[in-house]
Amino acid sequence: MNALEIRNLTKTYPGFTLDNLNLTLPSGCIMGLIGENGAGKSTTIKLILDMVHKDSGSISILGKDNGENIELTKEDIGVVMDEVGIPSCLTVRQVGNVMKHLFQNWDEAEYARLVQVLALPDQKQFKEFSRGMKMKLGIAIALSHHAKLLILDEATSGLDPVVRDEVVQMLSDFTRDENHSILISSHIVSDLEKLCDYIAFLHKGKLLLCEEKDQLLAEYGLIHCTAEELQSLPSDAVKYKKENAYGAQAMVLREYVPANIHISPISIEELFVFMVKEAK
Amino acid sequence: MKGLLLKDWYMMQKYCRSYLLVAAAFIAVSLFGNGNMFFVFYPCLLCGLIPVNLLNYDEQSRWMQYSAALPCTKTQIVSTKYLIGLLAQVTMLIIIGAAQGIKMTAAGHFVFGEYAVLLLLVLIVATFTSSISLPFIFKLGVEKGRIAYSVMVGFACGASLMASDYFKGQFTAEIRPNLLLAVLAAAGVGIYILSWYLSVVFYKKREIQ
Repeated sequence: MNALEIRNLTKTYPGFTLDNLNLTLPSGCIMGLIGENGAGKSTTIKLILDMVHKDSGSISILGKDNGENIELTKEDIGVVMDEVGIPSCLTVRQVGNVMKHLFQNWDEAEYARLVQVLALPDQKQFKEFSRGMKMKLGIAIALSHHAKLLILDEATSGLDPVVRDEVVQMLSDFTRDENHSILISSHIVSDLEKLCDYIAFLHKGKLLLCEEKDQLLAEYGLIHCTAEELQSLPSDAVKYKKENAYGAQAMVLREYVPANIHISPISIEELFVFMVKEAK
Repeated sequence: MKGLLLKDWYMMQKYCRSYLLVAAAFIAVSLFGNGNMFFVFYPCLLCGLIPVNLLNYDEQSRWMQYSAALPCTKTQIVSTKYLIGLLAQVTMLIIIGAAQGIKMTAAGHFVFGEYAVLLLLVLIVATFTSSISLPFIFKLGVEKGRIAYSVMVGFACGASLMASDYFKGQFTAEIRPNLLLAVLAAAGVGIYILSWYLSVVFYKKREIQ
C-alpha cells in the first residue's frame, strides 16, 4: 500500500496555480518535497490535510480518500508545521493532557519519554520556548500517537545545525519500521539529501520531477570542461550549462556522455538549482 | 472534543482571570447602586466575549492551522466555542441570580416572576450577542468579527434597557410566565442553535491558510 497517492491535483489562487500534481509515496519511504519559497510545497501539504479545498484531482492517504472521514485518517498522521500551533500559555504537561483526549492512540509513556529525551522543560509555557524547542515539542507530539505517516512542512527551517541533526536522526529512527513513511518539505536541500529515499522538485506549482534519490544521483552528473569540449557533447547529454571566462559547467545525463569524459557526482542541491534554472 | 474543551479551559484560566474582577465589580455596583440594569447585564455580556477572545488567541498561536491537522472535526471546533461561551454565561447567570435574589429579598420585594424574567432576559441578551458575533468570526476571522460584536453589544445594551423599562411596569402584580417571554426564550434558543449551525457551515467552507 502507498502511504500517499496524489493524482492530477490542481489548486488555483490569484497569481498561483498548483498544476496537475502527481505524487506517490510508497509505505516505508521518505519523500522530500523540494522547492523554493512559493513553489507550492505548503499548498500541497494543506491540500493533503484538507485545510484548503482542491479544485480537482484526488488524494489518498494510507489507502483512504482524504475527502472521506479525514479525521479518522488523521489519527494515523503526525504533522509538524513550520510554526507549531500550540497555544502559547500551555505547558508541556498540559499539551500532553490535551492530546491525550484528542488522539485515541495517544501514548502517554512515549510522550513522557520523548519529552525527557528532548530535554523539554515540563513546567515552562510554550511561549518561553526557543524555536528549536517548539519544533521538538511538535515532533514529540507527532511521534506519540503511533502515527504511520509523518508530514513535516519546513520543520527544520530556522533550526541550528545541532537541533537539525537531532531532528533528522529522530526521523530516521521513525522509518526503521517499514510501515512508517514521511513526507517532508523544505528548501534546505542538504537535510533532505541525508534523509530521503524519494525526491520531488516543485517549481512555480509544477512538478519538475519525482524520482528515487539514488536513481537521480545515478542518472545525473556534473562535468567541468572547456567551452569547446562542451560543444562536442551530444545535445541529449546536456540538461543545463553554465559558461564563463574560465570554462564551463554542465549538468548531464550520464548515459549520453562519452566514456572518456570525467563526470563528477552531483548533489541534490545542485541538481535542484540546475533544474529550476532550466525551467526558467 | 474533550481535548478541545480542556485546551480552552487552560486558556481561560490564563487569559480570563481579569473577567472575574470586572464581573465582581459590576455585580457589586448592581447590588449597591441605583438599580441601573446595565450593571446586571454586563457581566454576562462579558462572558460572551470569552469565545471571541479564545479564538483570537487561537489565531495568534496558529492553533487554527494546527487543529486542522489533528483528529477533530470543524464541527467539534465550533461547538467547543459555543459550549465554552454558554457554560461561562450560565455560570455568571447563577452568580448574578444569587446576588439579585439576595438584593430583592433584603429589600423585601422578592417576586419570583420578576426575578425569573430578569434572569431570562439577561441570558437571552447575553447569548444573543454571541449568537450574532460568532458566525461572523468563524467566517471572517477575529478582527472583523470583533467589530461586528462591538456593534452588537451596543445594540444589545440599548435593547436590554428598553426591554427592562417595558417589563417593569408589567410586573407589579403576581407574575405568570406570559407568551412574550416564552417567545423570547424560544427565540433565544433558536437563534443560538441557528448561529451554531451557521458557524459550522461557514467554518467548513473556510480555508485554513
